[in-house]
Amino acid sequence: MAEEHTTAAGQSVEETFIEAKEAQRIRPDDGRWIRLFDHFRREWQIYAMLLPTIIWFLVFLYKPMYGLQIAFKDYSIFRGVAGSPWIGFEHFQTLFTNDQFLRAVGNTIKISALNLLFGFPAPIILALMFNEVLHATYKRTAQTIVYLPHFISSVIIAGIVITAFSPTAGIVNTIIGWFGLDPVYFLTQPQWFRPIFVGTGIWQEAGFGSIVFLAAIAGVNPSLYESAVVDGANRWQMMWKITIPSIMPTILIMLIIRIGNVMEVSFELVILLYQPSTYETADVVNTWIYRQGLQSGQYDLAAAGGLFNAVVAFVLVMTANTLSRRFSRTSLW
Amino acid sequence: MSGVNLSGIVKSYGAMQVVHGIDLTVAEKEFVVLVGPSGCGKSTTLRMIAGLEEITAGDLTIHERRVNRVAPKDRDVAMVFQNYALYPHLNVADNMAFGLRIRKMPKDEIKQTIDDVAEILGLTNYLDRRPADLSGGQRQRVAMGRAIVRHPKVFLFDEPLSNLDAKLRTQMRAEIKRLHNRLGVTSVYVTHDQVEAMTLADRIVVMNDGAIEQVGTPMELFNNPANTFVAGFLGSPPMNQMKGQLTENGALVGGTEIKVDGPTGSHAGRNVIVGIRPEHVTLTPGEGTSALPIALDLVEPLGSEALLHAHAGKEPLVFKADTLGDINHLNNVAEVHVPASLVKLFDAETGRALNLGA
Repeated sequence: MAEEHTTAAGQSVEETFIEAKEAQRIRPDDGRWIRLFDHFRREWQIYAMLLPTIIWFLVFLYKPMYGLQIAFKDYSIFRGVAGSPWIGFEHFQTLFTNDQFLRAVGNTIKISALNLLFGFPAPIILALMFNEVLHATYKRTAQTIVYLPHFISSVIIAGIVITAFSPTAGIVNTIIGWFGLDPVYFLTQPQWFRPIFVGTGIWQEAGFGSIVFLAAIAGVNPSLYESAVVDGANRWQMMWKITIPSIMPTILIMLIIRIGNVMEVSFELVILLYQPSTYETADVVNTWIYRQGLQSGQYDLAAAGGLFNAVVAFVLVMTANTLSRRFSRTSLW
Repeated sequence: MSGVNLSGIVKSYGAMQVVHGIDLTVAEKEFVVLVGPSGCGKSTTLRMIAGLEEITAGDLTIHERRVNRVAPKDRDVAMVFQNYALYPHLNVADNMAFGLRIRKMPKDEIKQTIDDVAEILGLTNYLDRRPADLSGGQRQRVAMGRAIVRHPKVFLFDEPLSNLDAKLRTQMRAEIKRLHNRLGVTSVYVTHDQVEAMTLADRIVVMNDGAIEQVGTPMELFNNPANTFVAGFLGSPPMNQMKGQLTENGALVGGTEIKVDGPTGSHAGRNVIVGIRPEHVTLTPGEGTSALPIALDLVEPLGSEALLHAHAGKEPLVFKADTLGDINHLNNVAEVHVPASLVKLFDAETGRALNLGA
């Protein structure tokens, strides 16, 4: 280790200090387990701080995985998970021959695609617009207003939407009435569900989502803009040629995370807004699982649907991460 | 014809004035270095020339055109920033072409210009690399390349070498000097490093607290500093400044009378600051020198020479001496010699240089 100290002469003080600490704590004659124990004894505070997170993961994410096996069993609550007989992929065969499930998969993909197409760029555009606002008070007020919907419960959001689109007293139909048109009961018509759902999502989350991008914009080196000003770039050119490329790693990371959640369409909002007349376009995998599992008591079939959802999400996020790493040098891991 | 002319330039942020009426003329093709401690207003002055800061009062002309209200892009200046300001998502060629594309230069002309400048700067093999894949020196060259391709009337450098290590800084300093000699473009260069200022400048502007202390060639400033600030800023180590008093025949320093240049009789009793450059102090007597007894504190060997820290009476004195391959003989130094012609005198109250002959 003494040699390492000598070679560390060109390193930063911090690196040298860390090496010195490591040299102090790891004795070459000690066994691996003794060193590990030594390490835990010295750094126990860090592991103590990590413990609640590990417990949370174990209790809420890993322990439930035990129950996933019912997707491959003829599950009975009386026989329990372990006592129920294995039936292989029978539930998956049922799923893929079930029209309602296939429709739910199709709806999930369509709603997610719309969300990705319109909902994902919305906070980026909003952040870019905020970045161009020079009046500080106006900027702060506008930001507060667009952040607010995020903090409202989905139930209230759904209430607002139902009221706004009400055929009798809703503001939308009132405006339509000004043009002499008949009121439309939007929330009972399948063709209107997706636009209303995606629009509501944007209204609720775009403002709050813009915070990440605003933070990324704040991190752009100001001298890049000054250099561009001297080079003759206008604000539009600076936005396209400096701001957007500079925040592209953040955009890609957020996109990967978003793709990982493609199958997780906002379950509560769908439940609150849909009704049997709009199932055709509104019923998504999660609502189908909810109805099959909790309302009809087919837990095993619902578990198979949930597992399918998770596998698709896993494949999507892996693919997105690999593509992003290959083409843009940015990735989650 | 002047390259850049600053007349009564003032910069204020609200009620706080940070640059107090600067008057400076930079001749065409001249290399002028603004030097001074942090917060002295040198970068603000440069940014006003670039158009990145508004001018509160005064007139700025570039090649005889008043540009106070002219947008930066129309001033025909190019700037090299302290942290290079390279676009991380663009490769070297695209970084250099950025300004040209904004100005809608034809593609083939851009390529030709980039190739020519890359050749000059030794960047030809790195044109497709991104800034993250370059060393500090290469990034600095790209930053200069981006300025050069524009063929501006004025180059502005804002501490361009401060992020480099000492060795690379020396190397890049020489490259900037060679480049200036080759291109002959009016240049204004900001630094807090007096060595950079001395080596690069045709003329140095020493700034302090938002005002110019002295303007002159490096040797003028080194040999005849206008005040104690300039004397203490230029030179490494800087000029020794010892409290003293003028006498009939010279100046009293640390209880010892030394000879100075010029008649002191009529000023006898006046408190002064006696300035002696470390390299002007000798260990052996010579013509026109005065002996100054010292108490040696410390010897710092630097190889061929050593820095000796001592006291003359209560006044600290740093000076240089040849080691001749060994520093043992320096440990017993008890007396040094100061040539009268090289002793500088400053008023103890104002810090301004005294000219006894006048």
